[in-house]
Amino acid sequence: MNDTSPPAVEARGLVKSFARRGQPPVRAVDGVDLRIAAGEIVALLGPNGAGKTTLSDMLLGLTEPSAGSVEILGVPPREAVRSGRVSAVLQTGGLLRDLTVRETVQVIAGLFPSHADVDDVIARTGLGPIARRKVSKCSGGEQQRLRFALALLPEPDLLVLDEPTAGMDVTARRDFWAAMRAEAAAGRTILFATHYLAEADQFAQRIVMMDGGRVIADGTTAAIRQRAARRTVSAKVAHPDLVAAALRSTAGVVDVVVDGDHLRVRAADSDGVARTLLADHGATDLLIADADLEEAFIALTTPDEVLA
Amino acid sequence: MNRTYTLFELRRVFRDPVTLFFVAGLPAFLYLIFGASQDYSDIALRHGNVAMSILVGMAAYGAVTATTGVGGMAAVERMQGWGRQLGLTPLTDAGFVATKAFVAAVVAAIPISLIYLLGAFTGASGTTGAWTLSAVVLLVGAVTWSLFGLAVGTAFRSEAAVSAASGSLVIFAFLGNLFFPLSGRLLDVAAFTPLYGYAALARYPINEGYLTDSAGTEVAPDPLWALLLNVGVWTVVFAATAVWLVRRGRARQ
Repeated sequence: MNDTSPPAVEARGLVKSFARRGQPPVRAVDGVDLRIAAGEIVALLGPNGAGKTTLSDMLLGLTEPSAGSVEILGVPPREAVRSGRVSAVLQTGGLLRDLTVRETVQVIAGLFPSHADVDDVIARTGLGPIARRKVSKCSGGEQQRLRFALALLPEPDLLVLDEPTAGMDVTARRDFWAAMRAEAAAGRTILFATHYLAEADQFAQRIVMMDGGRVIADGTTAAIRQRAARRTVSAKVAHPDLVAAALRSTAGVVDVVVDGDHLRVRAADSDGVARTLLADHGATDLLIADADLEEAFIALTTPDEVLA
Repeated sequence: MNRTYTLFELRRVFRDPVTLFFVAGLPAFLYLIFGASQDYSDIALRHGNVAMSILVGMAAYGAVTATTGVGGMAAVERMQGWGRQLGLTPLTDAGFVATKAFVAAVVAAIPISLIYLLGAFTGASGTTGAWTLSAVVLLVGAVTWSLFGLAVGTAFRSEAAVSAASGSLVIFAFLGNLFFPLSGRLLDVAAFTPLYGYAALARYPINEGYLTDSAGTEVAPDPLWALLLNVGVWTVVFAATAVWLVRRGRARQ
């Protein structure tokens, strides 16, 4: 991809509100700006109801935005879908239960003027052994792999995956991401919505975190982790309550928890806190732990959390 | 209309023996029992005989069972998410409707051709015009009932509801004068039921609207306008209901 190619996703001020009987309309997506360059692998992370599915639906032209604009690879979403440049694995994409796996792939392939070889796609997604099985006899994970196969048929530049591993067991999940890595290596731009933090952490280069219909954080996986970062310093002290009171008034300290004769301090400047504890309060058993993505996630999605 | 998709849709219908039985087998059987080789079968009508009139009624029943099923399943499939899957392909809404309408017409043609063929060998007789025109009316009129199926499928969102809708056609068929000749007050009420106009219109090329009682005497004719009105009103009712339900479903998504 060269510099003049349009971004994979260019969304400006996207809003989607749904009317509710007798209640004010709910804004499932509430003003989202999102730009994804070609070749990026982006995780869309957020709790249930954050607006991830509604946002993906708008990127795919399945839902019309109430306000704002969206372009996929420089063209309107429907056009990108028609030309097979974007495709998706939908969380609730229905399949016809009475078709076999292979037939399902054939039907969808037939709807595209040009598409990848049916047998090749079946092989790439590991569906070979169950190709003749009826969809109704496939497990949730197998159906999800079939949806993945359907998404690969048009050889898309951009692949949108909404909760792609929902319903998969651990092995299936690992196999799925291995197949995804191969697709990413082939140069596809990938946007996947998930609420599995580990998946976002391991697979994405960039994380867009959503809550309440808005983007609340956007950056590299490392940056997001750091943003809520505040490492946790825990130590044993002689008078935990007194030390806790002293630390709470220190700048950069997010919170202090007393647990028996132990203190747990979350702070931006963990080194400073550690020095104070050791030098001024005679702390022992000192431990500094890195914040993981889960803590960042909770920190960013909990409304009453105070961020320094 | 997409060739592969249409072929697969047809293949799905043809490998479902239960549907084929209710669509083609049962009405053909009913015709053989009640239409062919009965005492009244040879009674002459204006452009055919009673056997042929019964044949039209049974074929009508098979045809609407077929289109109700296709319309209903189209609605259920779309709402169970297949519509979203198709939304990720170049297939347009119009293309989807065209495919399903074509499939409905093909499936409706199965009982019509099967029963007409059986009839031709088992005593049904009529003018060439009567054979041709009645078959055309049966095929075209059956499309209305895919809207009925669509409305039921959209309202109840389940395959069971679509089966129930197809089953309820037996009642409409009795009331619509399809299975055996009604008389008296029941016939007066029947004229307003949704299958009456369709079947009577298909029989018009045979009897010019004149019903015949069991003795073979003609009774007061149904005017053509009344039959067209019946079909027109019910088509509008089904179409409006289907559109309203589809819109309501879309707003809720």
